[in-house]
Amino acid sequence: MNPSDQQPRTPRDAENWAKSVDRLNVTGTPTGALHLNVQGRQTLSPLKGFGQLWQKTFQATLVGSNHTPAEIVRVWKERFPEFQPPENRFFPSVTGVKPGEVVLINASTPGGIMSTGVMVMYSDEDSFTLITPQGHPESGWVTFSASQVDQNIVLQVQTLARASDPLYEVAFRLIASGMQDRIWQHVLTALAAHFGAPAVVTLTKQCVDPRLQWSEVGNIRHNAQLHTLIYTISSRLRKLVRGNAT
Amino acid sequence: MPNKPFSASLREPVMHLNKGVIIDLHGEINGTVEVALNAAYDRAEAEDVHSIVLNFGGVDYINSTGIALIVGLLARARKSSRLLIVFGLSDHYMDIFNITRLVDFMNVYPDEQSAVAQLSQLQ
Repeated sequence: MNPSDQQPRTPRDAENWAKSVDRLNVTGTPTGALHLNVQGRQTLSPLKGFGQLWQKTFQATLVGSNHTPAEIVRVWKERFPEFQPPENRFFPSVTGVKPGEVVLINASTPGGIMSTGVMVMYSDEDSFTLITPQGHPESGWVTFSASQVDQNIVLQVQTLARASDPLYEVAFRLIASGMQDRIWQHVLTALAAHFGAPAVVTLTKQCVDPRLQWSEVGNIRHNAQLHTLIYTISSRLRKLVRGNAT
Repeated sequence: MPNKPFSASLREPVMHLNKGVIIDLHGEINGTVEVALNAAYDRAEAEDVHSIVLNFGGVDYINSTGIALIVGLLARARKSSRLLIVFGLSDHYMDIFNITRLVDFMNVYPDEQSAVAQLSQLQ
């Protein structure tokens, strides 16, 4: 074997990837976060969900920026929740956006509040990637990155995901896909504004696999929207019963 | 240490291993290699084979964008009812294929011998 073909003992990307876990473990709930549908859930891949597999690429260009991609991504990680729209609340762990860490999400949707989360699957100085768990509307990944193109910096959000279950697939086709697009457009616009630049966000969509995966229809039992709805109704009922009892 | 340039080449001469061909991958797999990787896959598909075998033995770096490219190949393989087989993953890249759940959808073998043996059984 050619020596150059041999694997190095410690690959250069070793520290960038999360360690393989069977199920997610959330250590501590950040203040103000509703923590449901993450603990003990397995992560999913873009191949594991039910709906059509889409790759969406959102880009915004910082023209003539003096900042480096690494500076921008560092700020993006550190202030990740601030760049989200108000209806999409992210709660990173105290450790921050690092490989293996869980970020809780409380999102306001037309179906009510939804509690879910993501795990940081990969992180290097120019990019980071989140992977979704069972019950999340999407099964797949989203990668945030910045890169130097000539004198400009290109900010990018790229999702590779499919709806996790049939209910989500219907929702995405009716309304949720557009809502999600607006979230990532908001994030890029807010990040660009942070660096003092206006942003025109472009979106490129590609349907990677148009098929529905009927073998994954059972994912609906983990549906975070439904579980949160049940939790919300039952907790209100409990309060009502307690109020009547006193 | 300078990055190794990426290459993706069909094993020459193209070996029709019981309706399968091997693509040898070398170097760093990241977003910049999309064209080269897809071109190699295109050439493999043109051989009209049932199985495409990816040899990761020479890969020394994969980032998340690179893994997304592998997912793209897997989606193409599933669409055309081809089997995507992988060998040569180090323990580290095996972990990555576990965490990204790619192992659920690929036939992963430790070495070329076992991958080729599997192709023989499929015939």
